Amino acid sequence: MDLSTFSPIQLVGGQIAIIALLAIIGFLLLLPRPQARWVTLGTASLIAAVSGLGAWLYTTFGKPMPDLIGTVLFGFFSVGALGFGSVLVTQRNPARGAIAFAFVILSTCGLFLLLAAPFLMAATVIIYAGAIIVTFLFVLMLSQNDGPSDENDRSREPRLGALAGFAFTGLVLFSLYLGSPIPASADTSKAPAASLRKQLLPVVVLNTEEKALLQTALVSLDSAGEQLSGDLTKDRDSRIEYFTRIKNTLAEVVGEPVQFEPTSAKTAVSRSGSVLSRLVRLRQELNADLELYRQDHQARAVVTQAVKLQELNAATYRKLETNLLDANPNSDLARAEVAGLREEVLLLMGMGELPASNVSNLGYQLYTEYLLAVELAGALLLVASLGAVAIARRKGVPS
Amino acid sequence: MISLWHYLAVAAALFGIGLVGFLTRRNLITMFLCAEMMLQAVAINFAAFARFHGNLQGQVFVMFLIAVAACEAGLALALFLMLYRRGKSLDSSDWQTLRELGVPPAIDTQSFPAPAPVEPDPVLSPAGARPALSTEEAARV
Repeated sequence: MDLSTFSPIQLVGGQIAIIALLAIIGFLLLLPRPQARWVTLGTASLIAAVSGLGAWLYTTFGKPMPDLIGTVLFGFFSVGALGFGSVLVTQRNPARGAIAFAFVILSTCGLFLLLAAPFLMAATVIIYAGAIIVTFLFVLMLSQNDGPSDENDRSREPRLGALAGFAFTGLVLFSLYLGSPIPASADTSKAPAASLRKQLLPVVVLNTEEKALLQTALVSLDSAGEQLSGDLTKDRDSRIEYFTRIKNTLAEVVGEPVQFEPTSAKTAVSRSGSVLSRLVRLRQELNADLELYRQDHQARAVVTQAVKLQELNAATYRKLETNLLDANPNSDLARAEVAGLREEVLLLMGMGELPASNVSNLGYQLYTEYLLAVELAGALLLVASLGAVAIARRKGVPS
Repeated sequence: MISLWHYLAVAAALFGIGLVGFLTRRNLITMFLCAEMMLQAVAINFAAFARFHGNLQGQVFVMFLIAVAACEAGLALALFLMLYRRGKSLDSSDWQTLRELGVPPAIDTQSFPAPAPVEPDPVLSPAGARPALSTEEAARV
């Protein structure tokens, strides 16, 4: 059969269908039933399905693999999650199933770490460790271990169930393929130059000096309230000088708009700020391969935020200056301006820190933007615990 | 470089496995664990999107997902306890009397293979003569 007569989409559909079929066969052979199961063939079929999925991912999405350690860890954790998940589904003994579930959780925690989510990793381990132990207690308490039982050694509609599950998975994979940028650019598969890739990978989005400068500006903005208190009609010069210092500190990092340069004494680098000049210079060096640059969403987000902060910085300074030089300076308005600027500076710092030290940023987001949702989640937990007590209470038994 | 699509594909496969388990298994506890596994797959999706957009909203969403999963675990285990007290079994098919009107009941046709014959425990044959009880001893007992 000549495979070249099929379109790429048909080929991908066929590959996904084969993977799904292998998984269905494996689960059909392995799901519990009263008769003996064909364990060897079922396991082999499942292993073939997982390796087929890996090969499909590699050839479809993952041709450039410069990050060897990350790739190996990703493969390790995802194979662990899928393998132990299959054990959980096909295991007759629910206690062993709970142990397999613990390993699924550990594998997904590894994936969380690879995704730069250390707090989620810790929280999942802590919460699910407790949940699994409680489940274990329930298994020991409620299951009888004398011979085959209906609940452990029979399956409900294994054929239809496996078909439904893996037809769903296959459709999701297929729509993933359709939604990815691969089909559009399937013909132009030019590998980026290795040197450029090496330059790109360890991009420092915010370096130490920039972080220190932002921190200084943040501290000054925090104590700007003192400058805006008292009689604003006095000491105008010292107040304006205070805010000029903040503006200049920020401008060293994010730069300032061109029209605010009275002379051309400053160099171009200082006008565009250290972040922008570094990241944009990097992009120009990588000009031959813009696609790879675009994959670094974090650098893009930082550049966007830096541009935003550049404009906001200049605008805020202008407004503060006019406000302070006004005959009737408005303290509340100035405070609002300072608070708005402070928030954007915090956001820029948070974006720069994202991959590694994002725990504090997660806390900041949770308790500023999502405070109401956090309270609701707490209320939900309270109601759930009350409901659990109400459900599990023995009715009609004197205590 | 591992891209967003790799994580999405793995999460989809994990979700599919959990779905199969939830649909086919009959032990309530195993079904519950499979549902938790599906939640984990969704959490991987959220974390992957958060990473690849360079913001934290996905991770915040996973936090709420964990909170909801904890609520679900508490309620589900309480329900299992109550159902077990009523039916003395963890088989979810025991409650198929709750099915919709007009749906035929699911009856297990395959029977379990006969259990392997168990060798009876060895019993020592009684030795010696049983002492005759005197009237005095019976009174003492």
